[in-house]
Amino acid sequence: MTALFFLCAGLLSGQTPDFAGEVRPILAKNCFKCHGPDESTRKAKLRLDTRAGALGLARSGEHAVVPGKPDASALIERLSADGSRRMPPPATKLELDDNQKEILRRWIASGAEYKPHWAFQPIGRPTPPRVNDTAWPRTPVDSFILARLEARGIRPSPVADPRTLARRLSYDLIGLPPEPAMVAAFAANPTGQAYEALVDKLLADPRYGERWARPWLDLARYADTNGYEKDRTRSIWPWRDWVVGSLNADMPYDRFTLLQLAGDQLPGAGQEGVIATGFHRNTMINEEGGIDPLEFRFHAMTDRVATTGTTWLGLTLGCAQCHSHKYDPLTHTGYYSLMAFLDNAEEYEAPVPTTAQADKTRALQAKIGALEQGLAGKFPGDLDKAMAAWAEKTRPQADDWRVAMPRAATSNEPKLRLQADGVILAEGDTTKVDIFDLEYGGESAGVRGFRLEALPDPSLPVGGPGMAWYEGPKGEFCMEDLKIWWDGQPVKLVKATQSHANGGYGADKAIDAEGQTGWTPGHQGNRSVALFFPEKPLPAAKKWTVKMSFGRHYPATLGKLRWSVIRQEREPAARDMPHAAEQALVAWPGISPAQKQALRDHFCQVAPELEAARKEIAALRAQLPMPGSTLAMRERQPDNPRATRLRHRGEYLSPKEVVKPAIPDFLPPLPAGATADRLAFARWLVSVANPLTARVAVNRQWAALLGQGIIRTVDDFGLQGELPSHPDLLDWLASRFMDDGWSLKKLHRLITLSAVYRQSSNPRDELAISDPENRLCSRGPRHRLDAEMIRDGALQAAGMLSARMGGPGVYPPQPAAITTEGTYGALAWNASTGEDRYRRSLYTFAKRTAPFAQALAFDAPSGEACVARRDRSNSPLQALLLLNDPAFLEAARGLADKSLAQPGDDASRVSFALTRVLSRPPCPDELADLDGFVKRQRERFATNPAQARALLGLDAKDTTDTMLLARRAAFTALGRLLFNLDESLVKR
Amino acid sequence: MTIPHDYRALDLARRTFLGQGGISVGALALAGLLPGQGQAAPGKPADSLAPRLPHFAPRAKRVIHLFMTGAPSQLDLFDNKPMLTAMEGKPLPPSVIAGQRYAFIRPDAAVLGPRFKFKRHGQSGAEISEVMPHTAAVADELCIIRSMRTEQFNHAPAQLFLQTGFSQPGRPSIGSWAIYGLGSESKNLPAFVVLSTGAGISGGSALWSSGFMPSSFAGTRLRNGADPILHVGNPPGVDATLQRDTIDIAARLNRARQDREHDPEIGARVSAYEMAFRLQTSAPELMDFSQESAATLSLYGADPKTPSFARACLMSRRMLERGVRYVTIYNEGWDAHSDVVGNLKGNCAKTDQACAALIRDLKARGMLEDTLVIWGGEFGRTPMVETNPSLGRSQGRDHHPQAFTIWMAGGGVKPGTTYGSTDDLGFHVAENPVGVHDLQATLLHLLGFDHERLTYHHAGRDFRLTDVHGKVVKGLLA
Repeated sequence: MTALFFLCAGLLSGQTPDFAGEVRPILAKNCFKCHGPDESTRKAKLRLDTRAGALGLARSGEHAVVPGKPDASALIERLSADGSRRMPPPATKLELDDNQKEILRRWIASGAEYKPHWAFQPIGRPTPPRVNDTAWPRTPVDSFILARLEARGIRPSPVADPRTLARRLSYDLIGLPPEPAMVAAFAANPTGQAYEALVDKLLADPRYGERWARPWLDLARYADTNGYEKDRTRSIWPWRDWVVGSLNADMPYDRFTLLQLAGDQLPGAGQEGVIATGFHRNTMINEEGGIDPLEFRFHAMTDRVATTGTTWLGLTLGCAQCHSHKYDPLTHTGYYSLMAFLDNAEEYEAPVPTTAQADKTRALQAKIGALEQGLAGKFPGDLDKAMAAWAEKTRPQADDWRVAMPRAATSNEPKLRLQADGVILAEGDTTKVDIFDLEYGGESAGVRGFRLEALPDPSLPVGGPGMAWYEGPKGEFCMEDLKIWWDGQPVKLVKATQSHANGGYGADKAIDAEGQTGWTPGHQGNRSVALFFPEKPLPAAKKWTVKMSFGRHYPATLGKLRWSVIRQEREPAARDMPHAAEQALVAWPGISPAQKQALRDHFCQVAPELEAARKEIAALRAQLPMPGSTLAMRERQPDNPRATRLRHRGEYLSPKEVVKPAIPDFLPPLPAGATADRLAFARWLVSVANPLTARVAVNRQWAALLGQGIIRTVDDFGLQGELPSHPDLLDWLASRFMDDGWSLKKLHRLITLSAVYRQSSNPRDELAISDPENRLCSRGPRHRLDAEMIRDGALQAAGMLSARMGGPGVYPPQPAAITTEGTYGALAWNASTGEDRYRRSLYTFAKRTAPFAQALAFDAPSGEACVARRDRSNSPLQALLLLNDPAFLEAARGLADKSLAQPGDDASRVSFALTRVLSRPPCPDELADLDGFVKRQRERFATNPAQARALLGLDAKDTTDTMLLARRAAFTALGRLLFNLDESLVKR
Repeated sequence: MTIPHDYRALDLARRTFLGQGGISVGALALAGLLPGQGQAAPGKPADSLAPRLPHFAPRAKRVIHLFMTGAPSQLDLFDNKPMLTAMEGKPLPPSVIAGQRYAFIRPDAAVLGPRFKFKRHGQSGAEISEVMPHTAAVADELCIIRSMRTEQFNHAPAQLFLQTGFSQPGRPSIGSWAIYGLGSESKNLPAFVVLSTGAGISGGSALWSSGFMPSSFAGTRLRNGADPILHVGNPPGVDATLQRDTIDIAARLNRARQDREHDPEIGARVSAYEMAFRLQTSAPELMDFSQESAATLSLYGADPKTPSFARACLMSRRMLERGVRYVTIYNEGWDAHSDVVGNLKGNCAKTDQACAALIRDLKARGMLEDTLVIWGGEFGRTPMVETNPSLGRSQGRDHHPQAFTIWMAGGGVKPGTTYGSTDDLGFHVAENPVGVHDLQATLLHLLGFDHERLTYHHAGRDFRLTDVHGKVVKGLLA
């Protein structure tokens, strides 16, 4: 592995250029596009990404590289050639400068050695280097940093002053400014022991999980809406809360990974495993009318592959969606092989009852069950006698339906399973037009009617009977068209009736000439029936077939069904009575014990004598808790796997061959004998053999704490990524992380206890030349705070921040127009009242197409793509927001009230307010300035109480004494000013 | 490591510049545009808004995009197809409709002939329907492209594709690319402004987001409410004196700390507050239509007090005059799945006059020659009728990505031109197809950029607006 500083050193001295640091970047940028890993675009039979390729014979008969002989190497000659021999060709608009040409020349002269890419090599266990100043290092981490600094003759920066350090630590570990008392205590006794205690206290704080959940939510592209046009609300906050809880419990990162990628498959993971699979359910769902749902499922899959690549592997896998990667050794097929690991899952909404809800449900169900068991027993008088009388009376209307037993059932997309008693259950994906082809056996002559039962099933959305899952009502279906063939002859259906129809969507619409209308019962969670009648009784047939067509401008496929036929002359009625009970009635009185039971069960449901008892049961049912749900995934049935196809140029409409799940060959393989599924992939990701996962994870933590990663391209460890500034440190941290049981808290503790972390962040003049970007860590971290920290910090300083954790998204105040004006999927942003108004920003409802304005202004992502590194911009719109947003004004009022409640004079209250915001007391100049500001404003407000009332949000009729008003207003203005100081927005 | 040497030098220059109290970090972003340097350094995004030069001399310095979202019917406005009248009520031949995907209709739906009369207009003889009389009157200024086509047949993805070159959210908008390349000319207003005058916009804020670029390149919404720019008005109880005092004291405290800690970023923060304050005074001035003559107001048909498409057009002209570079007006509402006649009458009544007025007004002020005006939707509408009793629809047209019409005017495009054509059924492009990436490449070209060299490095890759596609449509250039 190579260190960054070789780069300059090598250049200056004329020694052998470093392959990874100097040579490959030139080749990658200028040559790999045509002479790299992508076989489909490779030109001239030449590849320069491998040594064999570079030394081999190209189509031109030349050798691009002849080791030791730059003048015999076509590569060197062509860099300076004219016309068509020129490389890279002028049309590419790429040109090497003299420096780069010289590097390549010296590399070939020295033997043209290739080195494998460092990040794909096993993680080493380097020993911390020796340092001269043995007093400085506090942890092994520091030796790695100091050794480099000493080699360059740079002194580390002094320790930051205690207040700055406490503030830095608090923002870093819990995302909030420290309590002033804590700062004061530490400042009075800034020992190593006290610092360590502070670190441990913050690590144990439940707000730690809230702070560290945020970057994870960025990676997972979390939001509370589905995205795209409709952008409807979704429920996946249980996953967000699970992340917070897991981080607080310091769940090992390997288990954290396993649960999120394959919790449904992990033995014993239970409901936690289901909730955790929400990680990859954070993909968007397009509910726009008329879309092709499988196309957008494919887009979600490409997002999952790219996100998995960024989050765990630090690789830009997305590049290989359309073609083999131009720089990294990932092929087009390899990409889809990775997708195949993740592709074989169903997406669904899992109910997530709270413990209390689950307990209540269990208790109620037990009661309901007992009451139902005892229902017959409650009958006043002789049940059987009453039932017999009822049966006698009802029998003449009973219809003699005979269930038809399907021989085969196929469809264009969903898998149709033949179940007992002629029932067909659909599972899998659906499309906008799903067509079921059913085949039945022989029938004797005389069939006069057909009955379709649409049946509920717990596997279907909201219990079915339909499979609609977006755009229309869940669990709905629409049968647009029905055709029956009798021994191959079309049956002319002339009449249809139904037990339930949603508005005009009667069963007759399935046999009319209009293809866009159909039967929709609108009776979700229940059985409905439709009857279809031929023109005349049908002759005997050896077989008959049914073609049913389902859909609207969204998939509206029937999920569970059964066909029956009838021969009786009297026209049957479409009724709710269960089939078994009706058959018992038909057979009455000569019925079997099973039929008797069926009839009795039904009678208990209709007998007027039992109405009170049934009401009691219904009342209990009404009390059953309605558990929330969360988006989750579950592996498909083993006999119904989803085929993952390679897509030509990455286009959904160009499916090619089926690919099997496989790990790309530049990475270690799955263990021998492992079933290549999602769980195996997750286990492979966190296996010790994988060189990337631990490196990527520790680098991200380092970047969060030190301001930039050891590799600054935290999302790209591939050949196009930057090289690590301290490769040995990265490996040491990665192996230590795994040794420490993948504990993030231990890692955060290790880094924050280091001397490098504790340095002052003030720029030093001499570093402007020797370490201008702080790549060598010659000073502490310094950068603008994240959006959430800025808002939460203001509320915390004002003493208003709610400590309540978890639950659905909340609506802190913001201008209402943000989620309504010009927004297709408009949302009335009714600002929360009470505590929810001041919750941590983690809990702010995240609407993808109209994000929370303050978050957007300060570079928080909108949940549309995986983000490993946020921008930290600085814009006038941020200034406007902090100055003028009513929410920050509310915080300023809170801070004013808190300050005014302090004893002492105004100057000491100014000092109090500033200390709450900046975690330090003011210096004399600042105090004088701010005190003067408060006095000026107080005088102005005293002469204009109406303005003071306006600032304080008070009614015009408010009768507070003018001088009191003026003071409150002046301190509110002060709070506003403090929130707008650069220092309040910066971690330093 | 491809750039550290250059980068360090630039970074030092930047810091020095900032240290002297400058307002911007231009060198860096500029570096991102130099040949062979197509990336910003990781961790140091090029977030500058300092004005800078494109790759070559631009034909257009400003863009105003009248984005008719929902997709207007080209067959009733610009692309006259008498054959459809002849075939009215019959299905299209299977050879035409085979393998096509639709949002709502079935491909065998019957043909619906043009619903308005067409006439030739101006010296150029451009065919425009009677429902757009004002646009017809400026026909000689227009470059009408009848051979547009797109890859997306649903609104949100197609709008995103047109604005960002990608059908899913997350990429920088074309306006962001322009600002990334050109910086801002206005010290008092945002460089890239977005207005909405119709119904809700399918593609949402991702349409003007800066994607993976810093948020300073994102479009700023100009709103219809009291605050035209979010938070531009002081909160209740804060007057200009208090605001000034607040900003001054904050600046003094910030500078004092900068002196102690030598952190140039603090200076950048102070500058941002100064610009915010200027924005607060320039926004009301922008909204003050009393400076406009009665003749101008009636040319647009704009009521200064009422938000409307006409007022948005006039406001856009005022912004362009004040240095705003890129304006997009979203006028959603053209999605005529039913009653295409009523839809077009209503939408044209709201927009036709103002579109023409904008062209006349820009021309009268000498601004049309370097201002590019673009009009059009995200796709077209089908030659077949959409009728759906279950959705209560009749006499509509469904989404049609295979062919649609847009027009451009001003800044470097050929006036009085009709470019490209469709087949007799108006179904497919017959000649000179212009894809969305081609349109984007052409637009960047007019702004002075080689679309293949305007790149932004993100996640291991140099991204382009046009991905790996797009070619400049020479036939459109003046």
